[in-house]
Amino acid sequence: MKAPFSKYLDSLTGGLRTLIDLLSEDHDYVSALATDSKGLVVRISQHSKSVGNRTMTTERGVVLRVRQDGLYFEYATDGFDPERPELTAEALRAAERAQRAAVEATGTAVYETGIIPDEPWELFVERETEYLPEDCEISGLVEKFSEISDRGMAMSEYMLDCNVAAQSTHVCKLFLTKNRYLRQSYVYSEGGVAAIVAKDGQNRFGYKSLSGLCGIELFDGIDEKLRGAVDLALELLDSDRIEPGEYDIITSPEVSGLIAHEAFGHGVEMDMFVKGRALGAEYIGKRVGSELVTMHEGALCAENVTSYAFDDEGFPAGDVTEIDRGILKTGICDALSALRLGTVPTGNGKRENFEHKVYTRMTNTVFDSGSDSLEDMIASVKRGYLLEGMDSGMEDPKHWGIQCIITLGREIIDGKLTGKVVAPVIMTGYVPDLLGSVRMASPDRQIFGSGGCGKGHKEWVKVSDGGPYLLTRARLG
Amino acid sequence: MTVERIAEILKASGAYGWEISDTKLTGREFYFIKHSLDQARAKDVRHITLKVYGLSEDGSSMGSASADVPPSAAEEEVAKTVSDLIYQASLVKNKPYELNPARPVEPMPECAADPDGEARRFIEAMASVRETESEDLNSYEIFANFAERRFMNSRGVDVTERFPSSMVEAVVNARRDGHEIELYRLYELGACDADTLRKDIEETMAFGKDRLIAVPTPPLGSCAAVFSTDAALQIYEYFLGNLNAAYVVRGMSAFEIGKPVAQDIEGDRVSVFARRVLPGSPANFSCDAEGAPVRDLCLMEDSVPRHWCGSRMFTQYLGLDDAFSLTNWEVRGGSRPAAELRKGDFLEVVEFSDFQVDDMTGDIFGEIRLGYLHRQGNVIPVTGGSVSGNMRENLACMSMSSEQRQYANALIPAVTRLEKVTVSGIEE
Repeated sequence: MKAPFSKYLDSLTGGLRTLIDLLSEDHDYVSALATDSKGLVVRISQHSKSVGNRTMTTERGVVLRVRQDGLYFEYATDGFDPERPELTAEALRAAERAQRAAVEATGTAVYETGIIPDEPWELFVERETEYLPEDCEISGLVEKFSEISDRGMAMSEYMLDCNVAAQSTHVCKLFLTKNRYLRQSYVYSEGGVAAIVAKDGQNRFGYKSLSGLCGIELFDGIDEKLRGAVDLALELLDSDRIEPGEYDIITSPEVSGLIAHEAFGHGVEMDMFVKGRALGAEYIGKRVGSELVTMHEGALCAENVTSYAFDDEGFPAGDVTEIDRGILKTGICDALSALRLGTVPTGNGKRENFEHKVYTRMTNTVFDSGSDSLEDMIASVKRGYLLEGMDSGMEDPKHWGIQCIITLGREIIDGKLTGKVVAPVIMTGYVPDLLGSVRMASPDRQIFGSGGCGKGHKEWVKVSDGGPYLLTRARLG
Repeated sequence: MTVERIAEILKASGAYGWEISDTKLTGREFYFIKHSLDQARAKDVRHITLKVYGLSEDGSSMGSASADVPPSAAEEEVAKTVSDLIYQASLVKNKPYELNPARPVEPMPECAADPDGEARRFIEAMASVRETESEDLNSYEIFANFAERRFMNSRGVDVTERFPSSMVEAVVNARRDGHEIELYRLYELGACDADTLRKDIEETMAFGKDRLIAVPTPPLGSCAAVFSTDAALQIYEYFLGNLNAAYVVRGMSAFEIGKPVAQDIEGDRVSVFARRVLPGSPANFSCDAEGAPVRDLCLMEDSVPRHWCGSRMFTQYLGLDDAFSLTNWEVRGGSRPAAELRKGDFLEVVEFSDFQVDDMTGDIFGEIRLGYLHRQGNVIPVTGGSVSGNMRENLACMSMSSEQRQYANALIPAVTRLEKVTVSGIEE
């Protein structure tokens, strides 16, 4: 079925049009983004079970963006009354006056920005789903997840707990200007199993997840993640420490995705170009990776948790080729940064929710596949590691440094896996060196969307990333 | 809809128990590129969360379900949400426990709501940061919020807190010979403390200057590491995690009440306290998020756990009736001044990419962006490589300075020294 667009948002449309007219009397750009996204969360462990409706992206509210005298101002409210739009207009103007007074009192200069293009565009998108989170019957999910958790506990004497969690969100957004009328509705879901084990006073956990642009039908696959999560946790219990050094590495698709995200995701967010915070600006048209490295970014690149039709500034979703056979082609850009840089928006203007500012943000960030088999990759490694699972990552776009915390490494000696596992593994390095060393890529790209991404240490949004197995070289610790 | 009306709907619903959290937030935001205003934002929003509890017929299990309710929701929508929650809670089977009862609460001093004035003070504070030709502010973001949070439950708790809640993000640049680097800071604050903010940013600029002359970190192997910035919070959050009732109930805590966390302790003993008030903290609350009164309490004394803290559910499972979740916390300073901890050979790391201490496994890891290598009386700025180790191996030999330093809602020793970490360098 189609994920139905929010009736609540439709009921706001007339009032928002009037509000835009009112604000246009003293502003030269006015837009409204209204959101009504509903969710479902079920979390089951041996000691605590809960259900709720708040996910990372559930929200209901309106954010208005206006421009006056070269300065953009936004007002976010969840109290918009479509019968009394003049009240919101007054509240916005009062807040804007107060903030302009602070600007004047402190002698603050304004970074003037042009007017966002507003060519006419109408769009109505309702994506397919089997279920809506707001209508779903949760009793089956609670029973099913409890049974999976119980079964996980029985898999090993070392199990401390087995957490099964899943969530689904029905996203509805309405974007309006004088010339644009955009509506979209879609459902995405994610879930996973975390097995927690202990032995000789040492705790470890293994986590396996899944995600997709669909409803709770995705959760049928959670059962298949159980064995992998438990086995991973048990492997970690018996893992060794890695001897720090530089090694040949094969990155699993999950780790490849983390590299894509940290290396050339954040590094080419063009709002960072405006601030002079990214080295990528100086490398457009230059080699940053080997011939095997091609990377795409955009909501249209893949169908996963952030595959929307238009972004939070009312621009169409894109598919940007950031790196083409090792050459950095371009970055991704929100609307205001595009005006400042003299380029065009790429559909990457995203907010944490209506209460937050737009930044240039990633959507699906993926390496293209290659043609080498994993077996051939392993056979080509004299001494190195097959890296699997990601815990976290951090970038330094100014320096092109990268830090990835990886769940484990499987030792390879003379072209064979030895069975030895090291954990945890910190991979660090200089991005062009890391990507420049890629010498094999597998044909089986995978995409993962169960995590979130911050800008700095805040502004959390959903992203997905992925890639094939890649053979390269990096420093591990 | 008023919170009182929502409470009436809940009372009439027949729910075994319920909680309402209603937070009104007024925010003023300013975004700067250099010192020019990039954008300004304001928000007036309200977050209402309902939690409904159900008890099984034989009293053997208790379930809960929660929902955010939009402030624009009509009465029928709220009533349906409550009805749905009652059903959902009936499907969840947890061990029963009691919600927080109404207890006398000493209110916090009244705070005047002035987000516009607060924002102006932050703008002035940032404008007054002393920059140089080679170190300056690349960009910064100011979030001046004022919140009013009311919590009610079915056992008569009805507490309202009003408090400023601010945040400043600052990106500092330093440059030398055509090469430029950046350092990042995120400050979570109550009201504006201009002097502390300015001082910290100027210290960050000094770090930036040193990073530009830093040489690759040599592979040091096993060595001592000193932590004197907010990365040290991660070290102490390992203790907080293991003192949390949820970890204890799940069997994940390495700690036991009355039993030292390590044997043969040669370093400083660690004492951890819950604090009701820390000056300038954004978390000076009379009650925690479930309505439990917050008080000063020693959680760990001289490396011996004394009290668990945490959510009502898990502290009840441990038989505790007066426990609460941490709002502010303190780790007592150690026996020696910071200068004493900086003796001998060691690596002091002041900038990491992302320093982490896993409170479940004790694993320590972080990539070094700037460190000071103290070796044979010389101090060399270094960059690159990583620090790794495990807290369990350091519990008996860690040292803390007698001086303390506050980061948001935490007051910790200004300098912390771990004797057993591994430093992998990048020198060939």
